[in-house]
Amino acid sequence: MKINVMQDVLQANDRIAQNNKELFKKNRNLVINLMSSPGAGKTSLLEKTAERLAGKLRLGVIVGDIETTRDADRISKFKIPTIQLTTGTACHLDANMVSSALPHMDLSKIDILVVENVGNLVCPAEFIIGEDYKVMILSVTEGDEKPLKYPLMFRESSLMLINKIDLVLYTNFNIGEAKANAGKINPDIEIIEISCTQGTGLDSWISWLINKHRKKLGELAHA
Amino acid sequence: MHELGIAQNILEIAIDAANKEGAKKISRINLIAGELRGIVPLQLTFCFGMASKNTIASSAYLNIETVAVSGHCGDCNADFSIEEYQYLCPKCTGKNIQITGGTELRIKDIEIE
Repeated sequence: MKINVMQDVLQANDRIAQNNKELFKKNRNLVINLMSSPGAGKTSLLEKTAERLAGKLRLGVIVGDIETTRDADRISKFKIPTIQLTTGTACHLDANMVSSALPHMDLSKIDILVVENVGNLVCPAEFIIGEDYKVMILSVTEGDEKPLKYPLMFRESSLMLINKIDLVLYTNFNIGEAKANAGKINPDIEIIEISCTQGTGLDSWISWLINKHRKKLGELAHA
Repeated sequence: MHELGIAQNILEIAIDAANKEGAKKISRINLIAGELRGIVPLQLTFCFGMASKNTIASSAYLNIETVAVSGHCGDCNADFSIEEYQYLCPKCTGKNIQITGGTELRIKDIEIE
């Protein structure tokens, strides 16, 4: 006997993500799902972000890693609320894992919550967690063809940060090519070139965050 | 790797639906997977095999129907398939494109005994 089901496979995840979203709304948090391959600079970016947002907006961080608390240790030095999720074997964070971290944070004291996903260009793009924006980092040591190889992440991201641009001379990475490839996959994607070690472009990134935070508060005020 | 999580979700939904009908066994699951979801069918069936052990779906055949990416141009109203992730209208080269297919990940139906 055949029975019709017609159900989204990820509906359980999407429902929890929606609950997370409501909670973030209530606490007026802008939530960023930060994704990249391992070593692209997610934690370095968060260190710089913590430094530059200090005194302007209150940052909170949830870090997902398969093992160790090293990333959380690096970020918590900046005295910002940080929760480490060790996923064991899972290659991504899902809505349920993020939701398990939330009771351990005082969301009412956070303006911008960044969820640093597990380093991986494939799986994290598949699972929404209740974020406002997905932001990804592509570093010049990876290759400018990556958007074509891993289209879903580039498609889903609102902003792509091209990191380590101070090293571009030592690689065969073509910034124009990378931007064109990302633009083919996602014509609306915003792109900022940065170097976490040199500080290049970080002002633009901080302005992007501040603008999106202001925009969200505006939307909540009109809701 | 995300195939394992997806396999577990498929299993849960299918078993739920089968239990509602009082089924003893699930013999087939028809899944629709858009190309944009990046599902590797071989990996998904492998993960499904592992996840379904000792359940009423342990001998179920997981049939994966892939759906190509398609789009609609908001400027000239053309409908077309999108190849190689080129999000440009082939007719007017416009960028104002809505994705109309290729993002779905759904269980269509199941066959039970």
